Amino acid sequence: MALTRLNPAMLAATLVVGGLAAALPLMGASRYQLVLVYYFAYYLALGQAWNLMSGMTGYVSFAHGALAGIGAYATVMAMNAGVPMWLSIPIGAAVAGVSSLVIGATSLRLRGIAFTFATLFFQALALLIVRKLPAAGGAGGLPLQDILPVWLPQLFMILLAVLSTILVMVVRASRTGTRLLAIKGDEAAALSLGIASARLKLLFFCISAVLAGLAGAFHGLFTASLYPDVVFSFDMSITALAVPLIGGVATAFGPAAGAILFVGVGELLDIFAPGLHNVVIGALLVAVVLFMPLGLVPFTVGRMRDRRKDARSPAASGEYAR
Amino acid sequence: MTVLRTEGLEKSFGGLRAVRGVNFTVETGQLLGLFGPNGAGKTTLFNLIAGETRPDQGGIFLDGEDITHLAGWRRVRLGIGRTFQVTRPFRDLTVMENVLAGVPRSDATRPHDERSAYSLLERVGLAERAGDPASQLTLGMLKRLEVVRVLAIEPKLLLLDEPLAGLSVSESAELLEFVVTLKSATAIIIVDHNVRQCLPVCDTAMVMDGGEVIAHGLPEEVKTDPRVVRAYLGEEAA
Repeated sequence: MALTRLNPAMLAATLVVGGLAAALPLMGASRYQLVLVYYFAYYLALGQAWNLMSGMTGYVSFAHGALAGIGAYATVMAMNAGVPMWLSIPIGAAVAGVSSLVIGATSLRLRGIAFTFATLFFQALALLIVRKLPAAGGAGGLPLQDILPVWLPQLFMILLAVLSTILVMVVRASRTGTRLLAIKGDEAAALSLGIASARLKLLFFCISAVLAGLAGAFHGLFTASLYPDVVFSFDMSITALAVPLIGGVATAFGPAAGAILFVGVGELLDIFAPGLHNVVIGALLVAVVLFMPLGLVPFTVGRMRDRRKDARSPAASGEYAR
Repeated sequence: MTVLRTEGLEKSFGGLRAVRGVNFTVETGQLLGLFGPNGAGKTTLFNLIAGETRPDQGGIFLDGEDITHLAGWRRVRLGIGRTFQVTRPFRDLTVMENVLAGVPRSDATRPHDERSAYSLLERVGLAERAGDPASQLTLGMLKRLEVVRVLAIEPKLLLLDEPLAGLSVSESAELLEFVVTLKSATAIIIVDHNVRQCLPVCDTAMVMDGGEVIAHGLPEEVKTDPRVVRAYLGEEAA
């Protein structure tokens, strides 16, 4: 009765890796190494946010970059207005969550493509509004007036990456996760079994947006200055979906592999072929879709299982030969 | 006990009257066969009962409660389960996950767990495939899985839409044999073109043409109804 179950070993491994990453500054890691780990955690948190909604339901969002941007702007604006950080961060996440309800309530009752177009439109609209909004600093951007120690947003981001990975793990192993995947598989059939797909999609889009908003909020604290063309660039939405797509959608560890690849490839390209980042990531995505449609992790795990099966088969053990 | 009652159901698509003034009841323990040629209105009637389309006129009552305007998924929760003409498994989920997908977890009156899902799978010979992805099953297995998936939500009314389509004679006989065992707990409506195999297991039969019910009664009576024999069942059943 193979069901996807919550694996305590995987859970423990996630916590241990997260703990080690958080302890890196105490272990004498260089600034460069810390920044690499930070970006890994940022891409992972954003990728898991996308994974929780789009990976599980099949409703592809192009708005996760914008949702992170909204989280960043709302948090920094709140802090600049004198709201303490501990309150500004949830405000940022809540604004992202409410924004997702606006997109979701209007488009999630329709089938996938309508939702995807709504998110694309939202991504473009968010940039337009922030560029024109004087309170958000307009096109010139918005600096964070507080000075925070760098380790703080790094620690927050690592925590978020760990928590979002565990959340995906828990959801995937739950009956709710099965229902989300049923919606992805065949929504009409899911409805015929009484699965309230519109409600579930809206709920998970909102949870996913809150996670993206938190990632954006922490990134806003990390960079300490927000430029709308960077924060709301389409690249971030592509990153949010490319990380799980490359690593493996609807899995807990696929996005981790995707984030490692993203950071690693980014660093190598900065050295050997600066400016070709999008071209290489695009080529990687196409290669994964063509040759490993389930993503890197499920592909590798599947191959390992097949090999183990082959090794155990009577033919391999020489039973037939005898 | 009457599970389903329809009163004067009407549904038109543009100028086409797909369902005209359909009245009938189904009771627990009853297997009703719904027959008729293509375009007779059977699938539209099915969709009206399942809540996938709304009637222009008339009412649908489940256990006496008016469900005419309820959304499909709410009707499922009240006890209407359906299968599809073309099987629609969740291909990336395992067979077990397919069965569990629709089972409400929090409902204490339905203490379903993997064990009860497993015993359902055992009844249709799929227990050994519980851990396999549904994409690896044959059509015959998928048809059985689809029935089990609906049974897991414990429907009061089971709507089977062409369950025998694509199955061999022996596979059809096996599936029908299983369906008959379900009557004690549920009312069943079966739509199928395989009248020869279906009719003998039905308690009552209803034949539609042009959106109207042209015959309704015991299978033997319906089978010999001149209008049915002439227009729909032909020499085969006569």
